[in-house]
Amino acid sequence: MNLRAIGCNVASAAVDLREKLAFDDAKRSRALAELAARYGAEVVVLGTCNRVELYLARPEVAGPVHAPLVAEFLGEAHGVPADRIQPHLYEHADAAAVRHLFRVAGGLDSVVVGEGQIAAQVKEAFEAAQQAGAAGPLLNTLFPAALRVSKRVRTETGIARGNVSVASAALVFVRQVFDTFADKTVLVVGTGKMGRLALNHLREQHPAGVLVTSRTPERAADIAAGCGGRAVPWDQLDDALVRADIVLSATACTEPVVTRRRFDEKVRGKRGGRKLVVFDMAAPRNFDPRIHDGDRVSLFNVDDLNAVREEQLAERRRHVGPAEAIVGAEVTRFVSDWNRRQDGPVIGRLTAEVDKVRDAVVGPLLEKLNGRLTAADRERIEGAFRLFQNRLLHGPIAALREGGGEPHGGTLREALMKLFGLKG
Amino acid sequence: MTVSPLQGITHACFGLSYLLAFGLELARPAWPAAGWRAAALTAGAAGFVAHTLYLFIHHPTPAAPYGSLLWLAWVLALFYLGGTVRHAEQAWAVFVLPVVIGLVGLSLALTALSPDLPAFDLPGWLAGDRFWGVVHGSLILLAAIGVSVAFLASVMYLAQARRVRHKVNPARVVPLLSLERLETMNRRAVNLAFPLLTAGLLVGSFLLRHDHDVDSWLSLKVLSTGGLWVVFLVLLYLRYAADVSGRRLAWLSIAAFGLLLVALGAAHPFVQVRSAEFGIRIEDQAGRPGLDRDSAFRIPHSAIPGGRA
Repeated sequence: MNLRAIGCNVASAAVDLREKLAFDDAKRSRALAELAARYGAEVVVLGTCNRVELYLARPEVAGPVHAPLVAEFLGEAHGVPADRIQPHLYEHADAAAVRHLFRVAGGLDSVVVGEGQIAAQVKEAFEAAQQAGAAGPLLNTLFPAALRVSKRVRTETGIARGNVSVASAALVFVRQVFDTFADKTVLVVGTGKMGRLALNHLREQHPAGVLVTSRTPERAADIAAGCGGRAVPWDQLDDALVRADIVLSATACTEPVVTRRRFDEKVRGKRGGRKLVVFDMAAPRNFDPRIHDGDRVSLFNVDDLNAVREEQLAERRRHVGPAEAIVGAEVTRFVSDWNRRQDGPVIGRLTAEVDKVRDAVVGPLLEKLNGRLTAADRERIEGAFRLFQNRLLHGPIAALREGGGEPHGGTLREALMKLFGLKG
Repeated sequence: MTVSPLQGITHACFGLSYLLAFGLELARPAWPAAGWRAAALTAGAAGFVAHTLYLFIHHPTPAAPYGSLLWLAWVLALFYLGGTVRHAEQAWAVFVLPVVIGLVGLSLALTALSPDLPAFDLPGWLAGDRFWGVVHGSLILLAAIGVSVAFLASVMYLAQARRVRHKVNPARVVPLLSLERLETMNRRAVNLAFPLLTAGLLVGSFLLRHDHDVDSWLSLKVLSTGGLWVVFLVLLYLRYAADVSGRRLAWLSIAAFGLLLVALGAAHPFVQVRSAEFGIRIEDQAGRPGLDRDSAFRIPHSAIPGGRA
């Protein structure tokens, strides 16, 4: 195996460098073609918001592609000096590269352990390489295996269980109160990032309507336009609260926007007993926490959501050990299977080569002794040479087979090919 | 005479099956293996089959306390099975099964205490005899189902509302239906039960007036059923005319269920007074049919599995 995984991720490079090294679809297609041509390698380019990685496989007889060459290529492709890139690149070789990919696909190398999106991103990167004709025998075997490992890790351990984003934690709370979103109105108060993120998540549930209000009407109009909602003037906040079922609040106000008194006097009585769920994601808080009663009005702040998120993450971390064990076993299996696949043709060539040598020695010998040997003698001599050949090759072939599961299996194969003068 | 082995089915058979199902359901959060759920469902289904066979074989009358409780428990057991299949991830059985088990247990206690174990005269009933008595009993039983569903929805509502109030991490607990869904379930059950109860009461009043039986108007059953009707009226008023929280409505629904239990558990005046109206077959110790309220006519306990010999 001659495989390298070279790249940078959130732990090795700052976001500004990762942003510069990011590949869009067009850039990735060019990169796949260029790398395949330049290094005669199979290539997969994996780019997510947290990582940029290149998986490069070459024939065993060829030298590997190392990080400096990749830094040079990335520098050319993105217009960044290679010496700025190289210190941030990591390089994993052969079995370690397999392990790295399996861990990445299984979400074990993600910022949020067990996150599910990475498996889809790995699949998409592999499909792009296939379409570009950049994936060969090794990567065509490796990436489907990585996706299988990802599935195993997610289904056989609890690493992907629960919701770990603040937005998804909000959705879990909403589901305790509401059964359906189709008749619900979501009100976004303020234009804070948290509120917008949560809105994006809630919009996937297809609420009946979205209202947006902000002290800055232009920003409210922008957000409303972006989500198919309607902007509401800031001075109509109370009316909007009466109409809303779910509120996402993230203003930068330093004082509470909705006090208990204001809510009780201008909102509560006009709602006709309908339930209201408020997510106050601002600091300091926008809503008086005393409006929460867990029945008509349920108010959750960012600490409540983070508590759910943290607890869920801690729960997921408990499953890292079993997940790593699955990855370890799968790496051993993959390397062993791959080496065995590679060993077959080498053993065949070796046997054929030694057969040729034997024939070259035995043939002339039998010709010289022609007439003095009976058929039984000839058979005995040929048998002795075959036995000698088998005993001679037994050691190397057994060593090759035994080393199939080891990381050095490839080196042994290479050595054998050199020793016996076999061509790759 | 050959006695079918099915005749040997007792309260204990299905009561213990439900209890086992409940125990397995309780164990699910601690050992969340898929097998637990299947085992619980199997035990529950076995209990339901035994329960159905018991009702089919012994056809206890819904007009008698032990019979009405058993019929109600059967409907709720059906509700439990349907809900468990439909809401597989929800803590459904944990709420429904205790009520089913409680009703079966109460029925068993009444069987042990009561000297009379009247059976339902199915052929007579099917032939249309004692029409109004049957209408009255059926309406009250259907209303009781609505009250029970409202009770279950209310208990689940209070549990869910408590979780929301205390902001319990939803990932740490077995999920429950949403407050909105439970409120809808409660509302529909009450809306359905109230007209049935009203109609049942009207028919019952008519029958009592017809008998000129003044004493029965003050019986525990009639009073508690009347109380139940008043609670329902209050519930409907609070839901539609006043702005009252879901929690209060849930507590009222629970109170209504309490009154229902009293009403069902109390001896029905018609069992003694108008057994003929209900098509109740009462037999004397020798097995001779009779309808005289003052005699010791009853189903022999020895004929009822679990009954005193």
